[in-house]
Amino acid sequence: MHRALLEPYQHRRSAIHRLPAGLKAGGALAFVLVIALLPRASWTAYGAGAGVLLLLAGLSRIRPRALALRLLLVEPFALGVALLSLLQQDGLRIFAATLTKSTLCLFCMVLLSSTTRFSALLRLLWRIRVPSLLVTTLALMHRYLFVLADETACMVRARRSRTFTQDRASAWRSSASVIAQLFVRSSERAERIYAAMCARGWKT
Amino acid sequence: MNALEVRHLGYHYPDGTTALRDVTFAVAEGERVGLIGPNGAGKSTLLLHLNGLLPEHPAAVPTIHVFGTAVAEPQLAAIRARVGLLFQDPDDQIFCPTVWEDVAFGPLQLGLHGAGLATRVERALEQVGLGGFDERLPHHLSRGEKRRVCLAGLLACEARLLALDEPTSDLDPRGRRELKGLLEALPVAQVIATHDLELVVELCPRVIVLDRGGVVAQGPTAELLADEQLMLAHGLERPHILRHRHPH
Repeated sequence: MHRALLEPYQHRRSAIHRLPAGLKAGGALAFVLVIALLPRASWTAYGAGAGVLLLLAGLSRIRPRALALRLLLVEPFALGVALLSLLQQDGLRIFAATLTKSTLCLFCMVLLSSTTRFSALLRLLWRIRVPSLLVTTLALMHRYLFVLADETACMVRARRSRTFTQDRASAWRSSASVIAQLFVRSSERAERIYAAMCARGWKT
Repeated sequence: MNALEVRHLGYHYPDGTTALRDVTFAVAEGERVGLIGPNGAGKSTLLLHLNGLLPEHPAAVPTIHVFGTAVAEPQLAAIRARVGLLFQDPDDQIFCPTVWEDVAFGPLQLGLHGAGLATRVERALEQVGLGGFDERLPHHLSRGEKRRVCLAGLLACEARLLALDEPTSDLDPRGRRELKGLLEALPVAQVIATHDLELVVELCPRVIVLDRGGVVAQGPTAELLADEQLMLAHGLERPHILRHRHPH
């Protein structure tokens, strides 16, 4: 499960996959801006936007289920923001418009991340001179998310293999200790990674 | 000139525990030396000293020289280009998003760009048998492949002294055999810290035994490793491969 969550890019030999990362990222940014700036009740325009995205999704030949699953994973955030608008006057309409807009934008991002390698996006950020500290942090985060996820899975499995009771309190306790352990291990790993970076000439 | 000279090296952990005491040895250019000893003997700590990652605060008198240059500021950048350190866990060492970028990391720090950088990276990847792995993601590689990417990262810097920390740990027999072949073919000085005593017999004519932070013996591998008493006294054992060798 965590693989699907962490690794959106799915290799297919489609026309969309072959497009340069810069073009896709630029297009996605333009799409998001247009959708965000549209007046609230532009339902035809929303429909057209959705049509474009569905067409691109079809061309990318990624399984619709995989795309839908990823969209569902991020949807709660959009829903949370949209729910707040219910408290305003004319709330229902604002709610519907906000939810539609954010869903379209999120779908656009899901599509971008599913058809473009993360490393290509990082290289793009580098090229357009996004501060290097931010790009390095993103690169390291992406690299070690997988290591961390594997480490967590191993620890949870090890715990489970020696857990003989079903009561909730002890399950919480063991989860807490897994999290604490993970924190300690990550900070130790960070030190080792930094040493490895220095060993190959970083900041010297 | 020796590739490496360590003279009276001592080190205490920040909590005061002695990690290394009075360590003295030398490695000739192109020589392969095995560094063996029980867990906690100080092998990894010693390797970290070889390119100046330890001690945290430089000693008043430099105790380590690499190709005649003291391991101390301001020569540290030059030292790190010459000494390639292979870490125990490849996941610590491979920190870039793709294989190509990771191998290019060292040369980039050395100021290489463009075609020169590309050639250097391609050559290093070819050398470790990973040609065509450029765009592969580190977390999709096997343990053995990761280890070879790490080695390529060091070769791309054109390191002249390799300090290898447990290079064969958790490799399958094929991975181990391939790595052994690679190390054997490299014409650079190597310090191999390992528990894989058969590897030491196969690769290193000379061995250093480290225990509790001190050198307890150094000399010809066949001689030291055949000394059952010495081996057992320091948490080691006479490797199987020596039992089958005829003494004459």
